[in-house]
Amino acid sequence: MNKIDKSAYAGTLESSDAFIEIKPIDQDEIRIELHSSVEEMYGDDIRDLITKCVQELGISYISIKVQDKGALDYVIKARLQAAILRANQKDKIEWEKL
Amino acid sequence: MDSSINFSEFDFTNARRVKRVGSFLNSIGLDFPSSIEHFVIAKDNNELIACGGLDGKVLKGIAVAPSHRGEGLILSIMTNLINIAYSKGIKDLFIFSTPNNIELFEGCGFNLIENCDNEIILMENSNNLQIYKEKLFKQRKEGDVIGSIVMNANPFTLGHQYLVEQAAKKSDWLHLFVVKEDLSEFKFKDRFELIKKGISHIPNVTIHEGSDYIISNATFPTYFIKDKGRINELHAKLDLSIYRNHLAPVLGITHRFVGTEPYCVVTNNYNKNMKTMLEEPSGKSNPIEVVEIKRVEKDGQAISASRVRELFKNQDFDNLKKIVPLSTLEFLQGM
Amino acid sequence: MKLRRSMLFVPGSNTSMVCNAFVYRPDTVMFDLEDSVAVSEKDSARLMVYHALQHFTYEDVETAVRVNPLNSIYGLLDLEAVIRAGVDIVRLPKTDCVEDVLDMQEVIEKIEYKIGTSKKTKLLAAIESARGVVNAVDIARCSDRLMGIALGAEDFVRDLHTQRTKSGSELMAARAQILLAARAAKIHAFDSVFSDVKDKEGFEREARYIRDLGFDGKSLINPNQISVLHKIFAPSKKNVEWSLDVIEAAENAKEKGLGVVSIDGKMVDAPIIARAKWTLELAKASGMLGGDE
Repeated sequence: MNKIDKSAYAGTLESSDAFIEIKPIDQDEIRIELHSSVEEMYGDDIRDLITKCVQELGISYISIKVQDKGALDYVIKARLQAAILRANQKDKIEWEKL
Repeated sequence: MDSSINFSEFDFTNARRVKRVGSFLNSIGLDFPSSIEHFVIAKDNNELIACGGLDGKVLKGIAVAPSHRGEGLILSIMTNLINIAYSKGIKDLFIFSTPNNIELFEGCGFNLIENCDNEIILMENSNNLQIYKEKLFKQRKEGDVIGSIVMNANPFTLGHQYLVEQAAKKSDWLHLFVVKEDLSEFKFKDRFELIKKGISHIPNVTIHEGSDYIISNATFPTYFIKDKGRINELHAKLDLSIYRNHLAPVLGITHRFVGTEPYCVVTNNYNKNMKTMLEEPSGKSNPIEVVEIKRVEKDGQAISASRVRELFKNQDFDNLKKIVPLSTLEFLQGM
Repeated sequence: MKLRRSMLFVPGSNTSMVCNAFVYRPDTVMFDLEDSVAVSEKDSARLMVYHALQHFTYEDVETAVRVNPLNSIYGLLDLEAVIRAGVDIVRLPKTDCVEDVLDMQEVIEKIEYKIGTSKKTKLLAAIESARGVVNAVDIARCSDRLMGIALGAEDFVRDLHTQRTKSGSELMAARAQILLAARAAKIHAFDSVFSDVKDKEGFEREARYIRDLGFDGKSLINPNQISVLHKIFAPSKKNVEWSLDVIEAAENAKEKGLGVVSIDGKMVDAPIIARAKWTLELAKASGMLGGDE
């Protein structure tokens, strides 16, 4: 189970938040498209955070588009996890992994 | 931060309420959009302070009261609208707005397509324009006169056929775009097929599927209600700017051919507009010469698609036969 | 008893409020997953609150979460998330009777056992109906996890066939009953939110009124109301001076091994000493004793 079933999104475009869209792709990679108001200072950190968060859930073959409005790390994590849970619609949530 | 502001979807079937939103939009120099499917409003203690609408894949009528600007309300309105669009499976979106909002919408993931005369802008949240341009580029032909026609052909008549023949004669190569939006009586698929059959005898023409970037609900929403005499001049200009600055250059288009319009004042105005918009010198792109070709007549009447639709409604195939090619006639008889 | 004057309502779907609420230093931050969160955002808000609760910015502030009712499809998921994230208090929505509290307690116990935590999550029951007010006395004493009961006025006035007024007379009976029930059970009593954020005078009037009635604090929806409320709950200088005297007398008596504390020859009993300690806590929190505000 390293793929997501379908496209999904979570979050808002509001200040301090992030809007995240994910979709399945055919290649085994984590493709990130980041648009951030703090791109210059934190762009790499945010990409690392996203990669780590997706890997922890054992997922690849995924394309992730992020509109970041200066969100804290945990906000990005929460939105990304919400999108992934929506894409996979599993009944049971493995909280330990989140 | 203010949790007293309340966002909700607005029922615009209620005329009294539309009037209220309309006067709010008027107060900040906007009109209630002529067609809309969903409308979201923000209220602070029952006072309307922001709004925005969705029409197909186009976001429009987005506005915030001057007293509440700078609070990020537009971002909440945008989130609400995007949520509605996504829940309907519409992901590739456009925004119609004014140039002062470009930066704001860039922050929502939208790229500028065209800023027309600093009056109106169109933005999109996908790369579809780029993809469409690359697709067109592969069909580029070299020559001194590269002609073009944009037609809806609802449906294809002998008048259309004559226009294409004349344009092809005057061009080294001719590009023919078929309006893709399915807002006409005849479906795109059928219109496209009838054109293809009707011009199969002409060697130097490529027929292209139109797109969201040529006379579509995104670039030119009021085109499809022109029978009611309501083409919005700004929409027309926007559509022509995109044509001139984005599509024509990738195909090396030098000419655009149109039929003269003896009856419809609106279309006639549009053709005049087209002449100015495409021919005037500009730093952005080469001028495109607009060539009007006199419409072919039958029994002292110019042939028009609306006449065909009327005859078809009356099942008057004897008269239809005189103004449509055989392929169109057979199609109509089979319907 | 812990100081709980201000309980700031933070919609779980309002990210900037979730991230910034701690800045305003309410006594308790209460994240909401119930009525302020749209059905389509329940899952996302739950994850947001789950992570916020574990973030260091909420380490030093008491946290509560208003979860969805157990009879909804969200209730159990909300509890799974917030108990794991170590929330201090679960606020029960719409508590009508003792069983509502006991049902919630049972589920929480199961989750705590499953994840092996030693933390005992506290409960706060929101009373929002006539039936709840009538049962307030039993509700208040039904569980040792229950740290307080709160009035939820908006639903309550609807149930009572009336509406909110400036005078607040429609809440008279409910406030009195909830306060008495809480005091009899030795738990906290919280007043409802004041929803017109623009009416500053009205808010101050209501805050003074519920302070005088004896409430411990109030739920708030706007961060700007926090400092106003804290000022209103600050003890008078005279009261602080007198409390300092009482505590000094009590310490002196303890040092001398005296069983009886007295000031100017008048005996001071244990409840008075407890109240003086409480007043000094309040004074400290209000910045009157070089405390932390």
